[in-house]
Amino acid sequence: MAVKRFTKMAYGSADELIFGRAKNPLSYGFGIQVGAGKVITEINYAPRPGTEKSPETLRREYVDYISKDCLDRAVSIGLPDLQLETEWISQMSESRISAPVVEGQKEITEKYHEEYGINTAVRHTIPDKRDTDHGMRVGMDKVNGGPEMLFESAEIACENGADVFSVESMGGKELADYAITNGDIVAFLFGVGYLGSLDMTYIWPQFVDICKKNNVIPGGDTNCSGANTSMFMAGGFLDNDVQRTFSAITRAIASARTVVAWECGAVGPDKDCGYEGPICKAIGGNPTAQEGKQCHCAHCDIQSNLMASTCDLWSNESVEYHPEFGGSSVQCWLATLGNEVMLMNTSIQLKQDKVLRDLYMYADRIRGPEAYILSYDHAYEIGKAITDNGNDLYLRAKAAGETAANIILEGYKSKELPLTKKQLDVLEDCIKKFEALPDNEDAFVEQCLEKYKDVPMFHPKNYGF
Amino acid sequence: MLSSKGVDFSKILKRYDVELEVEATPEDMAKNLLPKDPVFRKVAEEVLYMRLKTIIPSVTEALKSKDPLSVINEGLVAGMEIVSKLYAQHVYYLPEIMMAAKTMEMGISLAEKQLEGGKRKTKANVIMHTAEGDVHDIGKNIAVIMTRAAGYEVFDMGKDVPVDDVVAKTVEVKPLFVSGTALMTTTMSAFPRIAAKYVEKKLNVPFMGCGGAVNREYSNSYDLGIYSDKAAQTPLIAEKLLAGYDWKRVREEWDVIVRGE
Repeated sequence: MAVKRFTKMAYGSADELIFGRAKNPLSYGFGIQVGAGKVITEINYAPRPGTEKSPETLRREYVDYISKDCLDRAVSIGLPDLQLETEWISQMSESRISAPVVEGQKEITEKYHEEYGINTAVRHTIPDKRDTDHGMRVGMDKVNGGPEMLFESAEIACENGADVFSVESMGGKELADYAITNGDIVAFLFGVGYLGSLDMTYIWPQFVDICKKNNVIPGGDTNCSGANTSMFMAGGFLDNDVQRTFSAITRAIASARTVVAWECGAVGPDKDCGYEGPICKAIGGNPTAQEGKQCHCAHCDIQSNLMASTCDLWSNESVEYHPEFGGSSVQCWLATLGNEVMLMNTSIQLKQDKVLRDLYMYADRIRGPEAYILSYDHAYEIGKAITDNGNDLYLRAKAAGETAANIILEGYKSKELPLTKKQLDVLEDCIKKFEALPDNEDAFVEQCLEKYKDVPMFHPKNYGF
Repeated sequence: MLSSKGVDFSKILKRYDVELEVEATPEDMAKNLLPKDPVFRKVAEEVLYMRLKTIIPSVTEALKSKDPLSVINEGLVAGMEIVSKLYAQHVYYLPEIMMAAKTMEMGISLAEKQLEGGKRKTKANVIMHTAEGDVHDIGKNIAVIMTRAAGYEVFDMGKDVPVDDVVAKTVEVKPLFVSGTALMTTTMSAFPRIAAKYVEKKLNVPFMGCGGAVNREYSNSYDLGIYSDKAAQTPLIAEKLLAGYDWKRVREEWDVIVRGE
């Protein structure tokens, strides 16, 4: 399928962005409709250590325990819809291990749909185990066959019963790691904004073909390995290994990369953990899964409420399966997700959804620069900067980063958004670095290939150079 | 959009990061920590202020009047120790640690060329790796830099390292301890398998479990297992192992150790 870059915003104004409604709604699975006037609950989980020892134990963990527990609790609390998300563990690249899980989850979600009428679906998110040292494109890795394994995993998921397909692709991760640990925003722009976009342009048309062949919804991607890592390390107010002004800008840059999946034919809902959803939805109008307050099972989050303001599926960060006083961990976290979704859907029915959206947004707007740029008005502005430069992968990622940085600076100057001196220093340093960059792709690439040639595990051939 | 005019956001949330910001500059805080000797002081300042461009000329100059081992220990390493203190006080952050460590390593490489044998004596060998099946290695990479900066010879085995390779390397280099990092619940199960092989081979080597999916309870659930929550804690634990603590004592005194006491 031809790649069609976004050069226009899907929405005419920021005020149109709201939870539960997307320009391009979708129907799939057993009665699930997303972006069609209500928010859907999506739960994400991890199996216990040791359950990966055989296909039988892993299937039992995912299907008989985790999926069943989730579906039981959903019915118990009266949820009308539930989407399960299985983020594959690395062992699942082998068909004998993953296929029984995918088939089993399909069967059990159908069973509950038939027995109780609950609408259900399963998203399968496959791992990207390509090794940059061995090669990231088909035919390059003679040792592990990583690229081939990536597409084989997609086929296993799609042929055995996935309703939605996603991946957290890793293109540019080697530069992202370097950028985050060294505070180098240009390395992030090059790695995630540019190389990550090139890599997604390579892999996503192939995923879309596999999905179409099997009648599976090609959902989307997220920059878990870059933007989420950056946010994870920025942490809460007691952490700050990475400055939050820096991590906010990384998220904006990552958005320019994450929409590439949709440009290659994916239709949403995209993945949530890079927190690019508000910007991507503003650009493409496709449904998005987003996460916030229920991520504390895995990491600190200080945009916990705000992220709900534009979601279509409300999700969590992966929670390990284990017992709690109130049931299993997935049941407890599902209940908090589901009740939040019920509140959102109540507001839609009472026509108070824009009020609730704004309450979510204001609850976190000034809690930090990350939340500030993801407020829907600012997310829209960043999206506009991307589509204004939509045909140029470099300029649009740069525009996203620069726009986010300037939004934060304006917020600080207007005294709306407090910053520490260190956060401000880092912000000003990023702005200075953006301003010093060339205004065309060729010059930027030439400059970066030279500057970052010694970054460990970076091999330009992986990106077609 | 609802208007926020007149809203008192302090009734909603408290920006502790802004309110509790440390106002002292690195210069203020380092003033009394830098070496008194002007030659060592100059070298330490190069590390402290991450001067990648001038570290080589400064070390070259220092080597004209001081022996290489002193330049390393009293200049370069002394500078890095101040960086660690500033990091603990939230004056410096991760990028400063990484850049300072890089500066120090450049200086050490140069000074080592004048040492007999071409290499300084490190405190001990350490092995670090990311668990079999796991490719999430950023935490391990940070720990490698911090542990090297603290004076250890770190053998970085990379990511997705098979259990048997870790065991073989342990036999080969006889480390003070071995660390493994995992971000997934189903890859961290490599850790007890490694520790069990150590027990089987009678290798009394503490195995440190680390990473996003790993917690203290898990790392302490198998013989030889110890835990590190953050990369910066690893050198603190290493110091105690070097002082003769065994894995059981590290577990018992863990809370005190990681506070740097």
